[in-house]
Amino acid sequence: MDFLVFQLQAPMASWGEAAVGEYRGSAPHPGQSALVGLLGAALGLDRADEAAHAALRDGYGFAVGVLGAQGDGRLLRDYHTAQVPPRSALKGRPHATRRDELAMPKRELGTILSTRDYRQNVHYLIAVALREGATAPHTLAALAQALRTPRFHLYLGRKTCAPAAPLWPQVVEAASAHAAMQVFGERFEAQRQQAQAATQAARPQRWVPEVLEPLPSLTRLHFDAHIPAGVPAWLNVPRKDRLMSRRGWQFGDRTEFTAWLAEEEPPCS
Amino acid sequence: MSHSAHRFVQLHLLTHYPPSNLNRDDTGRPKTALVGDATRLRVSSQSQKRAWRTSETFAVDLAGCLGRRTRQLGKEVFKTLCAGGVSDKLAREWAKDIAKQFGKLKSDKKPVNDSDLEIEQLAHLSPEEWEATFALAQALIARKEGPTEAELRLLTQPRRAVDIAMFGRMLADSPEFNMEAAVQVAHAITVHRAAVEDDFFSAVDDLNRNDTTGAGHIGERGYGAGLFYLYIAINRELLRHNLGGDEALAERALAALVQAVTRVSPTGMQNSFASRAYAGYVLAEKGDQQPRSLSQAFLKPVHDQGEGMFTQAVTALETRCANFDAVYGACAQARYTLNVETPTGTLAELIRFVAE
Repeated sequence: MDFLVFQLQAPMASWGEAAVGEYRGSAPHPGQSALVGLLGAALGLDRADEAAHAALRDGYGFAVGVLGAQGDGRLLRDYHTAQVPPRSALKGRPHATRRDELAMPKRELGTILSTRDYRQNVHYLIAVALREGATAPHTLAALAQALRTPRFHLYLGRKTCAPAAPLWPQVVEAASAHAAMQVFGERFEAQRQQAQAATQAARPQRWVPEVLEPLPSLTRLHFDAHIPAGVPAWLNVPRKDRLMSRRGWQFGDRTEFTAWLAEEEPPCS
Repeated sequence: MSHSAHRFVQLHLLTHYPPSNLNRDDTGRPKTALVGDATRLRVSSQSQKRAWRTSETFAVDLAGCLGRRTRQLGKEVFKTLCAGGVSDKLAREWAKDIAKQFGKLKSDKKPVNDSDLEIEQLAHLSPEEWEATFALAQALIARKEGPTEAELRLLTQPRRAVDIAMFGRMLADSPEFNMEAAVQVAHAITVHRAAVEDDFFSAVDDLNRNDTTGAGHIGERGYGAGLFYLYIAINRELLRHNLGGDEALAERALAALVQAVTRVSPTGMQNSFASRAYAGYVLAEKGDQQPRSLSQAFLKPVHDQGEGMFTQAVTALETRCANFDAVYGACAQARYTLNVETPTGTLAELIRFVAE
């Protein structure tokens, strides 16, 4: 069967989970809602378009591969303050710009504190497959094209977290998400070596550094029940990342399976 | 939204800040991040955006498109109505009805100088709200009848508020006035390993003549210096859409943005450090391709190997850009470079490249 495989790499990412109040945590890897949102942004879906988002959610299965031992990043806890006018001052007053929102005596302004978590230096592979028995709103090739030339910004959970490499979406025929990710890795390596050889040929007298770093190997695979993973699950955990209403920020439960692919033991066995 | 060539503009900037403390954590020290296993100094995107949107550059270059702020709206409407021949009593009543759409009116028992027509807090009107308000006043004069409830719904989604069109806003309470940001800004990071250093300082008591008794005050302050990489991705199509399709305004917005990002620094501790700086290098890219930052160029921290940190950082960035193209295919359709060191390019040409 066909899989759409692409990479997500960035110095900073943030995969928000249920959060109320001033603490905004991050999961170590993207959940279903993040991936649906990413595809939605590529396609140019309006945030308020509930039906289109639901169709994306129900049409596909998702798997997330973590590349390298620290591909899901180390924690960065960011202390964040924002200056705010008192609510009473804003009531019934349109404040179209930030400058004007803050245009009042400084002593009347307050400060809100929040803590926001990020993951630093993340690198994942994502596999998407058509869900069996469901109607997918777009072909995998169409999704790949949308990721190549997206309508809206793509980002890793938070808008400030821009991808630091092309996603390089590939439609791959394989038996499982795991196998498809390996094909992606092979294609990348071939491409990389070809570019390396071309650079070397252009400057035969000089030592040429590696054009890009090789892709690290897969250490972990997270997947849902709607995609053939190709590896046995060690663990299943409920995650509250099943998009229910984009408008109302409502999320339902989903079971996520995890397989460790590296030699190392899982952290808590 | 129509399809356009070059939907995205990406800006890659290198700016050197001397010792500074632009963006602080909860202990007052400069923020940091771990990139490629080396600690870097960091300036958050929020901090930079605030500096730009509250800058003189924005206020001057985008005058008229950041809305109008006043408490006197009711008085102005009242004057307009009176001049149109509406009786004082009716004009006052209608002006109040209109003004209170934008904020609570003052409840003076003994109004002086028409102060009963004043809004308590400064009201902010987008240019189109301002126009709609006075169009309504003219309509009332013509028909000599008060405003209907429907006509009083003068609040609208801002269309000519450039800073909101760029950086968006999210109002949990009134999502109908939300706007999706058309400009994506990454946290700026130093291209090299950088530590937060401590400045130990003492203050001398001017009246203390006995110089053996030491300082009148001692303290400590964190600071850091470095060459920062800043990445910005602009969705020009969305910016135009957010500005109601106004091409000319979108161009003005982009020009002001380039002016600000190359020349405006966050204001944090500027009085102590005077660390204001202009960008030394800018690579601008245009295209429909998926935007990607070039931060990977600095995964391996830059070391000064004789050429100087700046030149080495430029080489690393341009090499990564070319290598991305070589491996993944062209990542942009057009590029423009400004380099103060060589020197190459001008700010005026950069603005033309970004805006057109």
